[in-house]
Amino acid sequence: MSTSDAGRESALRKEIEKIESGSGAKAIAVALSDAESGLELHYNAERWFHAASTIKVPILLGVFAAIDRGDLLPHSRVHVRNRFLSVVEQVPFRVEQGRDANSSVQNAIGKMMRVDELAYHMITTSSNLATNLLLGVVGPDSVRATLRELEVDEGIELKRGVEDELAFEKGINSRVTADGLLRILVLLSEGKAFSPALSRRMMDILHAQEFNQGIPARLPKGARVAHKTGEISTIAHDAAVVYLPKRKPYVLVVLTEWEPSGSGRSRAIASISHAVYEALTAVVPA
Amino acid sequence: MSETPNFPLAVVDGLTLPPEYRKALRPGESWNDGAGRPNQLPRYFYEVPSWDTAMKIELSSHFLLWEFIQVDVREAPPLRTFPRYVPCAITLLAVCLERFREAVGTFIHISANGGYRSPTHRFSREATPHAWGTAANIYRIGDTYLDNRSAIERFSLIARETLPGIWTRPYGQPLGFSEDHLHLDLGYVTSVPRDVKS
Repeated sequence: MSTSDAGRESALRKEIEKIESGSGAKAIAVALSDAESGLELHYNAERWFHAASTIKVPILLGVFAAIDRGDLLPHSRVHVRNRFLSVVEQVPFRVEQGRDANSSVQNAIGKMMRVDELAYHMITTSSNLATNLLLGVVGPDSVRATLRELEVDEGIELKRGVEDELAFEKGINSRVTADGLLRILVLLSEGKAFSPALSRRMMDILHAQEFNQGIPARLPKGARVAHKTGEISTIAHDAAVVYLPKRKPYVLVVLTEWEPSGSGRSRAIASISHAVYEALTAVVPA
Repeated sequence: MSETPNFPLAVVDGLTLPPEYRKALRPGESWNDGAGRPNQLPRYFYEVPSWDTAMKIELSSHFLLWEFIQVDVREAPPLRTFPRYVPCAITLLAVCLERFREAVGTFIHISANGGYRSPTHRFSREATPHAWGTAANIYRIGDTYLDNRSAIERFSLIARETLPGIWTRPYGQPLGFSEDHLHLDLGYVTSVPRDVKS
């Protein structure tokens, strides 16, 4: 890291500390890797957080690993059924209809959807039903094996599907660190997940994200952001690859934890994202 | 290979099929049910040359062949492409469902993986009449989704009253019960068309 990068990293760290202290969050973690300048920042980045829906990025990787192996095709069809088994004593449970941001997957119950359609809904509108269906097809063990093979398993703990309330009550939750998600997104942005073509397909899905109140919110219009959010009662995350005109992309992961009544979550993430943008695009005096 | 008069699909002796199909269909083999009782799997199948054909062939007035052969990625790979093979007893199931449809007076929707699925389908852990082509999982009747006790038990009763000898899976969560569809079946029935040449 050059002297100017060290200065920028230090100034950015102070800015993040300031945003954190003023946010009311219980904890904030940030991981940044900028392909243009080489600048990296790891702020609380090895702290474990409940993954919420960011776990869908490792699951996406697991699905595409199955496609890469030829076990699945993008157009392979999957029976849409809203019945899953908890990791706790295999007790059946269903995904609540109101939890999905769109009803496309719910409307297909009894019918079939393509793997690529389910992957799209899992990421872009964070469909929990699509997530559990895909995880049911590829299996959690296979996803974990994929992460190990790609050497991005550190900082990612996939324990179960989503909305497994019985598991949640027992404290069995998927967890991530900011560095863990950073490693996956760097791999994807560099086109190194299986093949450049498959990496691009995953990035295309991430680019179609419909929830844009976090990292993209305060970026300039020309910015394109491929990302995945995650939100539950005490958690708000966003993990992104940010593309700005005329420069290489940067990967930014912001994980936050709150009291259930805490507000301003998206604002805090957007502020950190803005601070990162400012730091990376500021003209350094000669 | 032979062809039944007035029915456009060829009948195939499963034992004459290429090895990958025999491995997936297990024609004529014995397969134990959940209680350990052996049942002989179907040996004779209709050969379905294409999805277009399946979309056109009426097994009864209101049921087309495709409705019985929708399987997902869990089906054995050779059986996810055409030609497909479906046990000859599928026509008996269609006739029963037609009577059931008359009784309920509206559309009956068979779920994916809920008609014929092979003994090597990933859902097939022990003998199930689905592998005989004599079972249907119905997830919707008219506008009613069968995902609750009231709907499942109501239509289960109509099925049993309408179709003597039909078996319906009771409502509930444990293995052997059903909570998100109505399962009905005729048991382990095999059909051997009269003009088969073996």
